[in-house]
Amino acid sequence: MSPVGPLLLATFLFCAGVYGVIARRNAVLVLLSVELMLNAVNINLVTFQNLLFPDDPAVTGQMFALFIIGVAAAEVGVGLAIVFNMFRNRASVDVDDADLMRW
Amino acid sequence: MTGHDVVFVVVGLVTAGAAVLTVTSKNLMHAALYFAVTLGGMAGVFLTLAADFLALVQIVVYVGAVTVLFLFGLMLTRAPIGREALDGQNRGLGMAVSGGLFVVLSTLVIGAFGGQGTAEVSGPGIRDFGIAIFADWVLPFEVLSMLLLAALIGAIVLARRESGESGEESTVTRIELSVDRDPDTAEHEQPALTAGAGSSGEEHP
Amino acid sequence: MEPLLDYAWVVVVLPLLSAVLITAFGKQLPGKGSELGIASLAISWLLALGIAWETFVNSPIEPVERAIDWSPLGGGFIFELGILVDGLTAVMLLLVTTVSFMVHIYSREYMRGEVRFTYFFAMLSLFTFSMLLLVVSNNLLQAVIGWELVGLCSYLLIGFYWEGKSNQDAGNKAFMTTKFGDVGLIVGVIVLSAGMFSMTDTPFNILQINEAAAAGQLSTTTVVLGMLMIFLGCVSKSGQMPLHVWLPDAMAGPTPVSALIHAATMVTAGVFLLARLFPVVAQSQAVMATIAIFGVITLFFGGLLALVQDDLKKILAYSTISQLGYMVAAIGVGGYTASVFHLFTHGFFKALLFLGAGSLIHAVHSNNISDMGGLARAMPHTFWTFIVGSLALAGFPLTAGFFSKDEILIAGDLWAGAGFVTGSLVYWVGLAAAFVTTFYMARACFLIFAGENRSHHAPHESGKLILAPLMVLAVLSVASGYLLSPFSPEQPNFETWTATPILDEEASYPFAQESGEADAEHSAVGVVGDGVLASGTVMAAEKEGPVKVLHGVPTWHPDLLAMVLVLFSLAVFLAYRFYGKGLPERDPTLSMGRFTDVLVAKYGFDDFGYRYIVVPVRDRLSAAASYSSNVLIDGVVAGVGRATKNAATTTYRVVDQQVIDGSINGAAFSAAWWSEKLKRIQSGDVQRYAGVLVAGTIVLVLAFAAAR
Repeated sequence: MSPVGPLLLATFLFCAGVYGVIARRNAVLVLLSVELMLNAVNINLVTFQNLLFPDDPAVTGQMFALFIIGVAAAEVGVGLAIVFNMFRNRASVDVDDADLMRW
Repeated sequence: MTGHDVVFVVVGLVTAGAAVLTVTSKNLMHAALYFAVTLGGMAGVFLTLAADFLALVQIVVYVGAVTVLFLFGLMLTRAPIGREALDGQNRGLGMAVSGGLFVVLSTLVIGAFGGQGTAEVSGPGIRDFGIAIFADWVLPFEVLSMLLLAALIGAIVLARRESGESGEESTVTRIELSVDRDPDTAEHEQPALTAGAGSSGEEHP
Repeated sequence: MEPLLDYAWVVVVLPLLSAVLITAFGKQLPGKGSELGIASLAISWLLALGIAWETFVNSPIEPVERAIDWSPLGGGFIFELGILVDGLTAVMLLLVTTVSFMVHIYSREYMRGEVRFTYFFAMLSLFTFSMLLLVVSNNLLQAVIGWELVGLCSYLLIGFYWEGKSNQDAGNKAFMTTKFGDVGLIVGVIVLSAGMFSMTDTPFNILQINEAAAAGQLSTTTVVLGMLMIFLGCVSKSGQMPLHVWLPDAMAGPTPVSALIHAATMVTAGVFLLARLFPVVAQSQAVMATIAIFGVITLFFGGLLALVQDDLKKILAYSTISQLGYMVAAIGVGGYTASVFHLFTHGFFKALLFLGAGSLIHAVHSNNISDMGGLARAMPHTFWTFIVGSLALAGFPLTAGFFSKDEILIAGDLWAGAGFVTGSLVYWVGLAAAFVTTFYMARACFLIFAGENRSHHAPHESGKLILAPLMVLAVLSVASGYLLSPFSPEQPNFETWTATPILDEEASYPFAQESGEADAEHSAVGVVGDGVLASGTVMAAEKEGPVKVLHGVPTWHPDLLAMVLVLFSLAVFLAYRFYGKGLPERDPTLSMGRFTDVLVAKYGFDDFGYRYIVVPVRDRLSAAASYSSNVLIDGVVAGVGRATKNAATTTYRVVDQQVIDGSINGAAFSAAWWSEKLKRIQSGDVQRYAGVLVAGTIVLVLAFAAAR
């Protein structure tokens, strides 16, 4: 198959994730969108590995995707802990309300 | 267009559609569940790309753990179940930016890889994958396990309550700010908005 | 040949040394400095005697000139400090040192107990030095220095009793009046030196000026302008009319000062300078005529003023003015020798008269002759010395004054014979003034010595130190006349003594040619060296030739002698008639109506001076100067200050506060304003940050893609 397909899919998912990061109001959904972006990257990596460099003995692309999965999981955990903290302090996870750092 | 391609297109469409619904759904829970669908779709994509181990890892970790984590997160932060305006004030910016990004990146991708012919999809078997992990990538692998440990500890620390506090939360005094609230969510206004409200027990989503 | 002449400078410097020493520690000496002055003057006098002897015996001698040169401009112009010793110098040296010596001795007694005694002697010595410096100068610049110094000493000594305002005023008047004349002197010196500039490196040198003039190398302008200007200096210094006004007021000084300065020496400085520069004077008829006219006016009108005076010193002062007029007039009619001779003799008898007057004033404690009387018995020595002086002044035959005054009249006569009317003026007006002189001196003598004692004091004779100089001067008043009289030898006599190589036997006046016809009464030619003309009326000689400067040994002029005797007797008789028995009820001289008023008002000179010079300068010119300085100039300065201050204030307000501070404040303000506007970027909205970040990334990607 041509690599363009999966790459486009990955691009689309990434942009959807970007939109979600910017436009969503709930902090948890922002995290969700970030996970979406990471997954899009995973697709990219796997595409490159399996379609363009299939002979790599170190299987770099998939390995990288694996690590991303692991790190993303850890990140989600910590991120949600932070969101909990925010919620505990402010009784709201609305990112629009978290603008104390404004001018 | 081989059958491979058709399968991929179908799975891809499902994934894309689920992703769109994830980021635009007005119902938080639906968004999370759509996300689970998206992740499943992505596992399918991995399979079509002959990354079977990764597909299974995706399902185990993402669909299994991360989705649950998100659901827990949504519930524990009193995410309203039901329709709600969930889009923030930056929708326009988001549209513009993501649209622009998509245009640019897709142009580049097509420009870079469009001329490439079809290639044979072949991924390493699980055996070779395992050897690769412990031969070339052992150090990052070990570091990853340290990382997970650290994240675990960190999450616990961050989410821990201060000692002395009982399981009460949201007794904090809310800082008065101008809040841009959608009028039709008024009935869902969280009672914790009022300062010094009562204990947390009687929360109703 | 004449070794002493080289040491003439010692004569000059000794009094200066004495002045310095007296100032330094005169007060500590037993004689309070007077012994230093007397001693130095004694030595100077002896040396002057030696010089006089040498120059007289060997006369006519070549002038001896010694000078120190200084050329600050490299080449081309030399300043000199030097001495020029010839017969004329020796005459003056002798006169000045003798009179000064006498005055020093006299003052020791006369000024005893007076305030500032030591200062007085220091000033006497300083004055003597100044006069001697003037007299020995070999160049006009040095002469001017001496001249000015003499004027300074005169001012200081006239105002000796400066506690009295009138004494201060007298000093100021003397100084100012002579200073006015000094302008002329300096201009004249410059004109002469300018005329000499192209010919020599030392344009002020007197010998060279005289030689150039005699050789006709000086232009007419130089001669006329230069000498007239120098004559202006003489007019003021030698008390000619109209600048004589300071001399009577100068009597405010102590009497020895009057004797030394205002009788014998300083006032003769003008005459001396004219004599020194006679070769230049002799080149121009206009100059000589001018000099003669001034002299004639002075000798007559000055003498008249003495008629109405009560103050003895004022009588003598006006008499001095008149006699100076004689000397100046003599110069103007070609009586070079006569003028210097009269200067010489007048110095002695006028000093004698003043010193005698001092003795009389001391005795009666008053200057006025109306307070004296009958002093012949009480003060016999003063009496006879005073009489001798008076006779000499009046020109009684066989006194020195007779010979010298008659020389002047004869010179006038000869000049008239050469066709110049000024000569006749001198002759006849001189005779008339002699009558006046005799009359007022006789008036004074009768009022002082005859009649009853009108003073409130019992007068007694003065001490030896006062009488001794009187007697010495009395002898000189008679003896000095024989230096130029019909009894004098052909050589040496006073004329050969004062002759110079330029003014020798052959010297003559370039403008004066004797015409063929001659008056029977008056000689046309004075021939020198050919032997004396036979006594009797001078023969009418049908000779043509130039008029000579030197007239030779005088002969007896019986007609003149007769006229003198007649006038003398008449005057004494009149005086005896009016004053022989003491002060009359109505002094005839004061009863002459308008004539008296004019004389008492001194012809209005002082009023004129006061109204038209003093008041305008003092009240208007100085007010105007004060206005221009205090109001205009200070106003300008203050205005500049104000303008600067305003400029500074404006600069401060506008430039500093508005512009500079404004720009700085504006910078800060604009920073704050921009910050106010730009702070909205920090919205606190993390999602907005992320969006913008991604947008930026798109831009970068595009940029990189485009670059590829």
